[in-house]
Amino acid sequence: MSFRERTVGRVTVYDVDGQLIVGNRHELKRMMLEALEGGARRFVIDFSRTGYIDSSGLGVLITLSKEVRAQGGDLRLASLNPDLQRLFELTKLDTFFRICDDLGEALDE
Amino acid sequence: MSDPAHERIPEASGTVVLHLASEIDAIEGMVERAVACCAPAGLDRDRLLFNFRVGLTEAISNAILFGNVDDPGKRVRIELRVRPGEVTARVSDEGGGFDPGAVPDPRLPENIAKDSGRGIFLMRALMDEVHFNDAGNAVTLVLRDLPGPSVSLPPPLPDEVDSQPDAAGMPGVERQSGEGEALDGLSREMQLAHDLQMKLLPPIPRVRGVEAAARVVPAESVGGDFYQVLQLPGGRTGVMIGDVSGHGFPAALIMALVMSAAAISAQQGGDPATVLEHLDRAIGDELESTEMYLSLCYCVLSPGMPEVVYANAGHPHAFIVEPSGTTRRLLATDPPMGIGGAPFSDARVEWAPGEDLLLLFTDGLSDTVARRGRKSGEDLVLKTVARNHREPAVEILDRLFEISAQSVPLIPADDRTAVVVRAE
Repeated sequence: MSFRERTVGRVTVYDVDGQLIVGNRHELKRMMLEALEGGARRFVIDFSRTGYIDSSGLGVLITLSKEVRAQGGDLRLASLNPDLQRLFELTKLDTFFRICDDLGEALDE
Repeated sequence: MSDPAHERIPEASGTVVLHLASEIDAIEGMVERAVACCAPAGLDRDRLLFNFRVGLTEAISNAILFGNVDDPGKRVRIELRVRPGEVTARVSDEGGGFDPGAVPDPRLPENIAKDSGRGIFLMRALMDEVHFNDAGNAVTLVLRDLPGPSVSLPPPLPDEVDSQPDAAGMPGVERQSGEGEALDGLSREMQLAHDLQMKLLPPIPRVRGVEAAARVVPAESVGGDFYQVLQLPGGRTGVMIGDVSGHGFPAALIMALVMSAAAISAQQGGDPATVLEHLDRAIGDELESTEMYLSLCYCVLSPGMPEVVYANAGHPHAFIVEPSGTTRRLLATDPPMGIGGAPFSDARVEWAPGEDLLLLFTDGLSDTVARRGRKSGEDLVLKTVARNHREPAVEILDRLFEISAQSVPLIPADDRTAVVVRAE
């Protein structure tokens, strides 16, 4: 499994194990949209166990973020390693996402 | 502007005449109306929204830019004939037509690759028939429905498009393998979309003092990479790379719309940020409705100028490589297109004419080079370019795709694209 879904309080948290790429992005999208439909509004994606995100993976994060915002929700990204942090900076997507140093910060109200 | 009296949408077949003033900004709205008028023809939706839309946009922009020469007082007339299974659009302007003595006639095969013929290149790629009248101020486009697959494209799937100016000024297209394996519906559509992607990639214009080479190797299930090298007014050269986050027809449509809009912007001689704003206007709705986004870097090189001016919407891999091997990244100026939109910003970076190389690639390439130890794929791409700095641009590309091909990709393959430019 690439993704694990759990809830911490009112927040739905996804752990991405390994990679978020062209081959598995739809799975994350499906899981999160189902949760959104089920009424969840606060989401965190935890990348502490993630080595790599490709351009398709970034694409699905953008789509999900827009969907969540459209429903009045909030999506935060947590625990990016330095390479991933750099990827968000290089693509200027650090200006689009709320990026948190760790899960604790992401779970804060 | 259009005369509403003539704008009745035909029920099954009929003729509609639309008029528009020679304003670039009026094109998109007019094309949308024309597409709506053509719905009764019952053409395949992809073909109507894609082939017809892009082909008609090109015809109208040619009429405005080359026919009416941007005089808003002159008008463009669009006559649409709609029949079951066929749409014909005749686009005429009030200009004097092509003067073979003054401008290269873009109808001639040897000129199709030239910048002024780029729109015609796209029209021919997308429509079933393209005819010009003798006066050269009207073009007729015909699009028909096809039995079976929704695009008529030459088999087999090209593995690779490799473009550099050759003797004929046309791209050298390498078709390496074409196993005629049976394909299910989805793969069939993917293949057609890929064929379209490859077919749309334009030839690289021959520009004095500029050596450019570009290559796309499409992946099996993705198809959204493209490049474009444009000849700009004032002897300048525009170099573009893009990576659409989707695949299949929607991605190919974005790509075609970008290329079409970029050619128009290039003619107007805008700075890179203005070009990106124009592109964003042309594709913003499409990106929004298809939930795709686009990373795109556009650089402009001017002869002898010690700087590159660029605008970079979230494309991570754009570099200047010095002969010493030192590299400088063209940092993104804005996030990718499809999430924020205008305004975009220009940036400038130092450039040694005749010495430095401009290198643009997509993550499909850096992800598939053999990684050694902790070195990233990007580092290896940069080192390979530095090591082969003096080689011709096309050979640098050969080295890059060699290291990529040798590796066993850990990541499912994405399109791999690279552009290398050297300019005096």
